[in-house]
Amino acid sequence: MADRIPVVANLFAETPAGPRLTGSRCTACGSGYLPKSDVCHNPACDGAKTEDAEFGPSGTVWSLAIQDYPPPAPVKFDQPYTPYAMGFIDLDDGLRVLGRIDTDDPRSIEPGIRVEMVIGALAHDEEGNEITGWKFKPV
Amino acid sequence: MRDVAVVGLGMHAWGKFPDKSVTGMMREATEAALKDAGIGWRDIEAVSAASSRFSGGKGWGLNGNDIVEEMGSTGVPVYNLSAGCAAGANAFNVGYMMVAGGMHDMVLVVGGEKMPKGFIQTSGVEDEYDPEYLRQVCVGIPGPSFWGIMCRQRMAEHGTTEEQLAKIAVKAHKNSVHNPYARFNKEFSMEDVLGSAMVSYPLRLYEICPVSDGAAAVVICSAEKAKQLTTKPVWVAGSSVATNSFNDGITRGLAGPIPPGGKTFHSEAASAVRQAMEGAGVTQKEVDFIELQDNTVYYELCFPEEWGFWEPGQAEHELESGNTTPTGSLPINPSGGFLSFGEATTAQGIFQICELATQLRGAGGGRQVPEAKVGLGQTLGLGGNAAAVVLKR
Ligand SMILES: [Zn+2]
Repeated sequence: MADRIPVVANLFAETPAGPRLTGSRCTACGSGYLPKSDVCHNPACDGAKTEDAEFGPSGTVWSLAIQDYPPPAPVKFDQPYTPYAMGFIDLDDGLRVLGRIDTDDPRSIEPGIRVEMVIGALAHDEEGNEITGWKFKPV
Repeated sequence: MRDVAVVGLGMHAWGKFPDKSVTGMMREATEAALKDAGIGWRDIEAVSAASSRFSGGKGWGLNGNDIVEEMGSTGVPVYNLSAGCAAGANAFNVGYMMVAGGMHDMVLVVGGEKMPKGFIQTSGVEDEYDPEYLRQVCVGIPGPSFWGIMCRQRMAEHGTTEEQLAKIAVKAHKNSVHNPYARFNKEFSMEDVLGSAMVSYPLRLYEICPVSDGAAAVVICSAEKAKQLTTKPVWVAGSSVATNSFNDGITRGLAGPIPPGGKTFHSEAASAVRQAMEGAGVTQKEVDFIELQDNTVYYELCFPEEWGFWEPGQAEHELESGNTTPTGSLPINPSGGFLSFGEATTAQGIFQICELATQLRGAGGGRQVPEAKVGLGQTLGLGGNAAAVVLKR
């Protein structure tokens, strides 16, 4: 029986409310962090504490590109290679996050469109397990 | 602070040299720079070197030690500087400070790189705490796709066309015809560029820089020493290194803040350029030409705007008007740029110094910027590194 294995642990989760990125937020200035950070990186902030925070699922594509050729390591992909779109997504909760765009037609995606986070396969390993990551689906 | 002069220039050609070592190439560049300065190896008091990412240096980036060993171990101090693709210019800045600060009178700045084949891996470690590794393994965004994202944003905002992107590559290669050190010194037509493979839409193969082997060296010295060596020194008017700011709109790891207005990009480059120009006491109007890091054609559009040379959205007009050619009002990359040289990552900043000084000496031949008196160079490296230099005659 094939499993679903997160590409990296503790960055995203299927929560009761739906898929979310799991990071942290500064309790003083509100800056968001993914991966989680115990400290705030904002040099203008004197805050000393962060707390766990979830990000997503809704946002807007700031811009994107299409990976037209097979990427170098350590990026994993299934054969035969299919170009994918990826970009910077401005989440409604204030984080600009990198992510793949979940679409069969990458050329049709324009900057500015609304998207929602999903958890999906980035590739499969030798045993047929799904290596999963976060993606953004046009809505 | 003392005045600092550039008195020796040494370039190895850029290209593919499977039969040479990076140290051998750096030696050729160093010997050329010493000869150009009219000095010997024993006159060098310190070495500031770029740490290679891919070659030599015993795997520790000790390329400055390699070149000292190769040239003859005189016991001089060696500084090996790592700053991604800004390493060469970073090493130049450290060399500059040592001479300006009076620590040394005669310093060698050198960088060389032999690149692996094909598209390079940006992260050198498989470490889930490394932000660059996470970007690749979780999303998959090699350099060209990062540039593609930035370029697409500009196209959406300013209506830049694919033809305009191609025009920049055509212009770069036109300049390179006159540069014997360029890897591709031949003209490319619009059809060549637009017909090249799409690497990362909207960017095509001939609109991004390939990887190359290359090495460059410069000798810098105090004004007193310069007067003994030449009647026409080139002066370091300003030199600066900077890193990116927290509010930069370009996400460096997986995620970052959305900046106010969404519009602060490449803050490290803008800071380095501003500081170098302030140090030199020159305004945008007084800069005669620019050598900037054109990993992709996009940078020729955005950088001059971000540095206050043009208004936002003006770049396409400047390009179409021919103002960025060597005889235009603001020549950009008369050398042919990274597009024609390819990128020998850590050596690029020093190749720029060589080109700036060559132009200021009036030795640019068919690519000469007429009456060039002040030149600006800029590089940008992984990790939020940037360096800029202003040279004048
Ligand atoms: Zn804070």
